[in-house]
Amino acid sequence: MAGTQVAILETDRLTKSFGALAAVSGVSLAIEVGTLHSIIGPNGAGKTTFFNLLTGSLAPTSGKILFDGRDITGTPAHRVPHLGLARSFQRTNVFPAFSLFDNVWVAAFARASSRKGIAWRRADRYPEVRERALAALADVGLADKAERPVREISHGEQRQLELAIALAAAPRVLLLDEPAAGLSPEETRNLVALVRGLKGRYTIVLIEHKMDIIMSVSDRISVMHFGSLIAQGTPGEIQKNPEVRRAYLGGVAA
Amino acid sequence: MSAFLGQVLNGIATGMLYALMGLGLSLVTGVLNIPNFAHGALFAIGAYLLASAANLMGNFWLALVIAPLGAALLGLAIEYLGIRRLYAAGHDYQLLFTFGLALILSEAIILVWGPVGYSHLPPPILRGGVDLGFTFYPKYRLFVMVAAGLLVLGTWLFLEKTRYGAIMRAGIENKEMVSLLGIDVHKLFTAAFALGAYLAGIAGALTAPIRGLSPGMGVDMLGIAFVVVALGGLGNLLGAIAAGLLIGVAQAIVAAHWTEASSVVIYAVMAAVLLVRPQGLFGIR
Amino acid sequence: MNRALIAILAAIVLLPLVVRPAIASEIWIFAIFGLGVNLLLGYTGLLSFGQGTFFGSAAYVAGWLLKHYAINVFFALGIGVGVGALSALVVGYLCVQRSGLYFIMLTFALNQLFYFVAYQWTSVTGGEDGMPGIPRPAILGIDFGNPVAYYVFVSVLFLASLWIMRRIVESPLGKILQAIRENEVRAEAVGYDTARFKLAAFVIGGAFSGLAGVLYAMLFGIVPLEAIGFVTSGNVVFATLIGGSGSLYGPVIGSFVFIWLSESVSTLWARWPLLLGVAFVIVVLFFRGGVVEAWSRFAAWRERKWRSSKQTG
Repeated sequence: MAGTQVAILETDRLTKSFGALAAVSGVSLAIEVGTLHSIIGPNGAGKTTFFNLLTGSLAPTSGKILFDGRDITGTPAHRVPHLGLARSFQRTNVFPAFSLFDNVWVAAFARASSRKGIAWRRADRYPEVRERALAALADVGLADKAERPVREISHGEQRQLELAIALAAAPRVLLLDEPAAGLSPEETRNLVALVRGLKGRYTIVLIEHKMDIIMSVSDRISVMHFGSLIAQGTPGEIQKNPEVRRAYLGGVAA
Repeated sequence: MSAFLGQVLNGIATGMLYALMGLGLSLVTGVLNIPNFAHGALFAIGAYLLASAANLMGNFWLALVIAPLGAALLGLAIEYLGIRRLYAAGHDYQLLFTFGLALILSEAIILVWGPVGYSHLPPPILRGGVDLGFTFYPKYRLFVMVAAGLLVLGTWLFLEKTRYGAIMRAGIENKEMVSLLGIDVHKLFTAAFALGAYLAGIAGALTAPIRGLSPGMGVDMLGIAFVVVALGGLGNLLGAIAAGLLIGVAQAIVAAHWTEASSVVIYAVMAAVLLVRPQGLFGIR
Repeated sequence: MNRALIAILAAIVLLPLVVRPAIASEIWIFAIFGLGVNLLLGYTGLLSFGQGTFFGSAAYVAGWLLKHYAINVFFALGIGVGVGALSALVVGYLCVQRSGLYFIMLTFALNQLFYFVAYQWTSVTGGEDGMPGIPRPAILGIDFGNPVAYYVFVSVLFLASLWIMRRIVESPLGKILQAIRENEVRAEAVGYDTARFKLAAFVIGGAFSGLAGVLYAMLFGIVPLEAIGFVTSGNVVFATLIGGSGSLYGPVIGSFVFIWLSESVSTLWARWPLLLGVAFVIVVLFFRGGVVEAWSRFAAWRERKWRSSKQTG
């Protein structure tokens, strides 16, 4: 299906090898702006490694990453959010001793238009940052718990916080790595509603294992297996794809 | 030229001792994941125990066997009574603890043996020199080179070829995995610490006839051991040997031309290497 | 927070009535030193075991200039801060690229480098004998040779340092450094060049250490070799931990405890570092969290007792 819309994030034969093992092998895909594009595949397919390449935590062995048409390959991890790409992690990766508010505030401040007085002004004197932080918490439904420390909230709420930290960076593209990991069915439903609410405002790339989530929210799905892309298409197309069924059901367990 | 070769040989002898110290520290720090500031003190204890035992028994060789065992025993006691309780404590408290121990031990040395340094002669059989053609080389230093080399080789064989050594290496890589395999991690830690203490002790015992004894020798050696580990990498045996030899030889060459710089040069070499390769010689972590 | 400030002001006023002004000055000087170290240790989570490098270097350079070039006091302070910051920049640059145990070892090893340079360069530093004869030049007609006058001077500088450090830790930088301590990977992932920030913390800590070093040199009129040695580095870490690294005021309390202890005991026994070592060991085994945490635990226990007595009463 030829892209009639702009591809905001693209990879061109992106590869990451560890010695003889190719964790990500020649992956070329295009994410269209404003869509929710899911990446699925059995465990070990290379999905998180792919995210790590996109966010600069890993350097690719070969291939290119393009954001908004610009080659951003090799951008160091700390510069990636400033391009407009924010990521949430599969294993909750927050700032444990901070309150919820401080967790998102730190992420929001990184993207402040002005860091003047960074070592001198009181931290609460940046109204723009404060607003963005509170908005991020509100987006995930945690605004009323802003002053609570992280250890007082439930696992499900921590996954929401994980998402809020990514939102606080005011990104254009959200990379969500298994946001529903470890959630109960009800918590998962809430999360899906949350993600649906974010569609349209952000371009979302989603890694998930839970097929019902994938099928219900995705505009497009890419399937990875052993580091390579084996299929791409709409949810309907993917469901009927024999390669995909083989990867998930035959031989190698998901 | 022959003077230069003599310096290089000197450097190899001390370099092997540095490698031995670095190896012991590397093991302890790698397996236990704590900053061990008492390692130098164990080196000093090994040296003083050798001197006393040798004087007491009139037999250098017996003392050479006993002294490191004394250091290892002390290491066992330290691990059992203190370090064992600090594995979850965080590097700052571990550091303070081992640093406190270092202070206690170095002051204890002054209490027992006095504040003034003194020398200890090698055993009669190893006094004098050997004619190597290009230079006349002290027999004792040759002995140290061989002995340290054998110890390093022995440690390598232990780590690479025995089951317990493999467990120790695994412990450096991944402690959770080791305990999941049903191995008592506490015993592993105790053994690693004792082995490290033994290596420090025997390095000290071997050093005594070369450099003499002084209460501050522990701290000096601690810094050098840190340099070896910083350059060679934690848990990296070959790295420790390479780094030890590098700084040993560099020091010997510089010391011959500019004696005042002989202590500084080791750290200067480290700083220079790290400027170019921040990850150390072998680029690990 | 105000209560702590009142307590400190009271301490400043009352201390010289209880101990000699020189000891009182030493306490506040060491507190300045500790504030700098705690920015690294408590706030950023960086255990630098070589702060003596910056303390001692500043003391030597400023001391040299004071002694041989009769510079004025403010210039000396500026030199101290500058040398402390600059040496921290150099050392920090090499160290922040490694983490964890490597970082600790490197700070120690580089400290040894500076120590041996000071030890050997006897023409300048005096080597083992130290650099004596450092003056306390008068300013605006105030004779700082008077110990009380110098004490006031030191106290004012301490209060200024405390205020500056408080501004820093309450600023975004303070939050960012704590974020690095909490989760460096995430801090980087949200867009901070963590190596740069760690280096910044290092330089600031070095500046504070340098200020303390100059004041120390002028207090005792001499820069002893130990000022740049590992024992000084260890002492300030101990003082910070015993006060409690989790708060701004911890190092102040720790300085009290440490200086009081060491000044009382060192006159009694030449082997007093042994007792110091024992104190380190005991604090680690039994008093982790330091005075501040012990106090808050005590306060919490008291609160529980009061509540339960209300219920039963």
